[in-house]
Amino acid sequence: MAAASASSAAASAPDFPDIAVVATAQTPAHARYDGPEVHLIMDCVDQLLASTGLSRDGIDFTIAGSCDYLSGMPFAFVTNVDGMGAWPPVYESHVEMDGAWALFEAWLRLQVGDVDTAMVVGSGRSSPCNAREVFHLQADPYAVAPLGLDPDALAGIQARSLIDAGLASESDFAAVVARSRAAAAANPMAQVQASGAVAVADLLAEPYDMAPLRAHDVAPPADGAAAVIIATAERARELTDRPVWIRGIDHRIESHHPGLRDLTDSASVRTAAATLGIGPAAGGGGGGEGADPDGGGTAGLDVAELHVTHAHEEIILRSALGLDDSVEVNPSGGPLGGNPVMATGLIRVIEAADRIASGRARRAVAHASSGPALQQNLLCLLEGDG
Amino acid sequence: MARPCAVVGIGQTLYRRRRGDVSLDGLVREAALAALTDAELTFADVDAVVIGKAPDALEGVIMPELSLCDALGAVGKPIHRVHTAGSVGASTAISAAVLVESGRYDTVLTVAYEKQSEGNATWALSGGRSGGQAAGGTFAPWIREYIRRSGAPEHIGWLVAVKDRLNAVKNPYSHLRIPDITVEKVRESPMLWDPIHFLESCPSSDGAAAMVLAGGERARRSARPAWVLGHAKRTEITTFPGRDTVRPRAGVECAAALYASVGITDPRRQIDAAELYVPFSWYEPMWLEGHLIAEEGEGWKMTDSGATALDGDFPVNCSGGVLSSNPIGASGMIRCLEAANQVRGTAGDYQVDGARVALAHAYGGAAQYFAMWIVGSSLDVLA
Amino acid sequence: MTAVHDVDFTLEYPYTRSTGPIVGPWLTGLRDGRILGLRVGGRVVCPPVEYDPDTGVSTSPDDLTEVGPAGTVTAWTWVCAPTSKHPFAQPFAFAQIRLDGADTAMLHAVDAGDMAAMSTGMRVVARFRPERRGAVTDVYFVPGDEPPPPVEADPDAGSVETTEHLIGVRIREPLFPFRARFARGLLEGRILGQRSPADGKVHVPSRGYDALNRVAMGPEHDVEVADVGTVTSFTEIAPIQYHGQTETEPWIRCSVLLDSADTTVGGIDVRHIGVEEFRVGMRLRMVWKPEGERDVSAIENRWGGITGGVYERWEPTGEPDVDPELLKDHPF
Repeated sequence: MAAASASSAAASAPDFPDIAVVATAQTPAHARYDGPEVHLIMDCVDQLLASTGLSRDGIDFTIAGSCDYLSGMPFAFVTNVDGMGAWPPVYESHVEMDGAWALFEAWLRLQVGDVDTAMVVGSGRSSPCNAREVFHLQADPYAVAPLGLDPDALAGIQARSLIDAGLASESDFAAVVARSRAAAAANPMAQVQASGAVAVADLLAEPYDMAPLRAHDVAPPADGAAAVIIATAERARELTDRPVWIRGIDHRIESHHPGLRDLTDSASVRTAAATLGIGPAAGGGGGGEGADPDGGGTAGLDVAELHVTHAHEEIILRSALGLDDSVEVNPSGGPLGGNPVMATGLIRVIEAADRIASGRARRAVAHASSGPALQQNLLCLLEGDG
Repeated sequence: MARPCAVVGIGQTLYRRRRGDVSLDGLVREAALAALTDAELTFADVDAVVIGKAPDALEGVIMPELSLCDALGAVGKPIHRVHTAGSVGASTAISAAVLVESGRYDTVLTVAYEKQSEGNATWALSGGRSGGQAAGGTFAPWIREYIRRSGAPEHIGWLVAVKDRLNAVKNPYSHLRIPDITVEKVRESPMLWDPIHFLESCPSSDGAAAMVLAGGERARRSARPAWVLGHAKRTEITTFPGRDTVRPRAGVECAAALYASVGITDPRRQIDAAELYVPFSWYEPMWLEGHLIAEEGEGWKMTDSGATALDGDFPVNCSGGVLSSNPIGASGMIRCLEAANQVRGTAGDYQVDGARVALAHAYGGAAQYFAMWIVGSSLDVLA
Repeated sequence: MTAVHDVDFTLEYPYTRSTGPIVGPWLTGLRDGRILGLRVGGRVVCPPVEYDPDTGVSTSPDDLTEVGPAGTVTAWTWVCAPTSKHPFAQPFAFAQIRLDGADTAMLHAVDAGDMAAMSTGMRVVARFRPERRGAVTDVYFVPGDEPPPPVEADPDAGSVETTEHLIGVRIREPLFPFRARFARGLLEGRILGQRSPADGKVHVPSRGYDALNRVAMGPEHDVEVADVGTVTSFTEIAPIQYHGQTETEPWIRCSVLLDSADTTVGGIDVRHIGVEEFRVGMRLRMVWKPEGERDVSAIENRWGGITGGVYERWEPTGEPDVDPELLKDHPF
């Protein structure tokens, strides 16, 4: 069912205008930030304005993603507008989702053609709450939420399914963590700053948490914010020397009932990837055989930034995206290195875009996820000029 | 450039204080299936879904797109969720229109809802703390200031309350039905937040509203399209010295941008019907002025003269408005679909004869979020 | 509480859900000791849903059918450290359980005692709790196949049409530094504001930033303001009763522009002045509680005004009113 509809959303129809990421900003992923979410947002917005030279009223459209419940107050998102700036009044909207979905709407908005620049923000402070006690409220309100069955528990079930199917082992999970932590050590924004390499054997010696997952297999919720400015082609060239082109964004959801899903695979990622012309259906996302170095659709991916909040998810995502070893996965350390919930998905786009802008990659896919056990997934395909 | 987008299907639930007969799944499906039926489509025809509602804490379900996606036929498709406080229903409709206008999605189902009876809006507005003042407590001082500035007589609010409730009697979906309402009854009803009487206040409702929006062939083939001629949104920060909460600049600029985008220069003459977000009666004249339909200080005179009645020259809230049905998250979308009903000629007993251009509006937060759209019976109706 | 404290607040509400035509009978079944699935699209789905998962077409309660009480674990996790929301305080398993007679697995809890007792493919069987109220938590699972003891259903209980859920999220964190300084000031009998480095305006209570100019403010921007000011806005509130509401009598809530401040202090509760004499422009003075009796426990990161815990009352100064026209920049 999930893969049934590739819809009419053609990824790269020729008459769609080119849209590029022109500036990015993120705060560090703080274990606890001792101040209002507004400060985190303001910090990002100031960075964006400084790097583009835009004034606040030079941005045509603004859209943010956040979660009231995580902030501990209904309508908490209203206060966040203070950080984004809305005087004089601005053209603005908000999704109660990760900032990556705000990017989706902003990207579509610019394609309408009457506005040229958009700012996208994702933010959250996780430290005041126990994330498990908050996010079990995503579950079916009749049959599941009253059990307190939280996303980490469902992740544990998914990890078990993967092991039972012979698709991964606990060592594989630990290897994902070890590699993520090693990468995070080089990322000043990361929350988990390993002091040297973490050995798989040492990770496996740790006790279980949501068995077969261990505490280190679960991304630590953090406080933080992230923001980007995107622009239509002509404006993008005015605002930066290194635009990062958004070649497509697609997102798909799967059934809310895990019993109706194959938890060992990601049907939604496969559909989104096919829509964007990447992934196994398009001949593999990596640089292997069949790769088209000109980025003609199938391959040439250098980097994948994946929204891996539980180690085993990387294995599912690699498979669904058809990534081989030539594609660098989560060079930032990924969410296992720092997980400012509600910004984490948008940060995947930022990390991928930054790699391209700095010349370390030419083509990348960023992935964001929402809901338990990778229920909903977004892919954003990014490319540099040359 | 923007691809034309049309409303090709409209669906509503019955609005009631408590829809005890349905689950959350059932509530949204009632509206969604009605909209699909109206559009002569099924879930299989839908390319993407956009949902909206006010805070998750009103029902205690976080990110409800995750638990409603199956019920809305969205599995395997894109679905996303908008939240812009009280304006959210209209914001959601606009977001859905953007999906179509971008050219990337042909058929979009959009649904907004609230099941207020599951929780408590005053509790939510108070942040779960004691001593909440409710929305009326926030807006009452600004209404008082409007009365002071404009010199409007006190019966204006009562007139709006009577007009909207009598309109609601003509609407089969209405929550409040008070056929024997009179100015005297409004005046004698309890004072909740001076100067707002009980009968000048919106109810707390359960309900959902849905539309199918389409572009391209599907829009052109529609038997009864309402074309989305334009839309606009504006937001301003909550509080600072000098902020005009009676006539917020964001509201003025939102209206100005909207009219300019569709070529309206004289909104009172060029718009045939309006659905304005009026949760407390005085907001009718306040938004007539705040959205450039009347000159400053003149809005109450339109109300007083009967211009905003169903048979007036600028009918407002012919459906009965927020004063008669208020599932918060859906209330803005109801404004949008009732505007569409008017230009499609499907408004039944509250149809404005010959309506070809209609305005819908919602606001939220501390009168700081604005979302508006204009629909027309044809794409060139304003040409 | 006469000291500055950390925030510890639970955002909590007792929600009432209506269950509809499919979930209602399912919960009724659980209360009465039966687990129901639904025949749809050639399979039996459990838990039952209101739509065909493949087509979205509405389903009928006529197609409900009993499944279980035993079933097979298709996947599981061992919860080593249960949260306050989980059904057991001791470690247990959450599992996907395909009940006998069903084609899909449902999520539930297995009280297995030890992780070693769990395995994929194992048999588990329902146990109904002695106190049942028509909720998914009326049942849990244990290893094995032994049918549960018969449950005595109350023939007069009717069907489950609504369910109650006390849902709360606990928030614990230190007060933000600027809030802590403000609260400490109140305990000391001083009202602290912050002067914006951007335009010199004094914000009280400060939110740690100047929203108009989008600049953060730190301790170096703290200034003391007067405890005398002018009413800029007010509402008389007839309290609506809701979970957590402790107010029962009408009172006046007003905003006051304190002398030497540029923003108003909102949320000031006045209970000693009649509404008929209350007006915008009126001059008021705060009468402090004695130092040892001041309570700032209402101040937290999401709200930080002049709490009723620090004043006895606000009283008219007797000065002439300020012309409301001069106050219209302060509608809050």
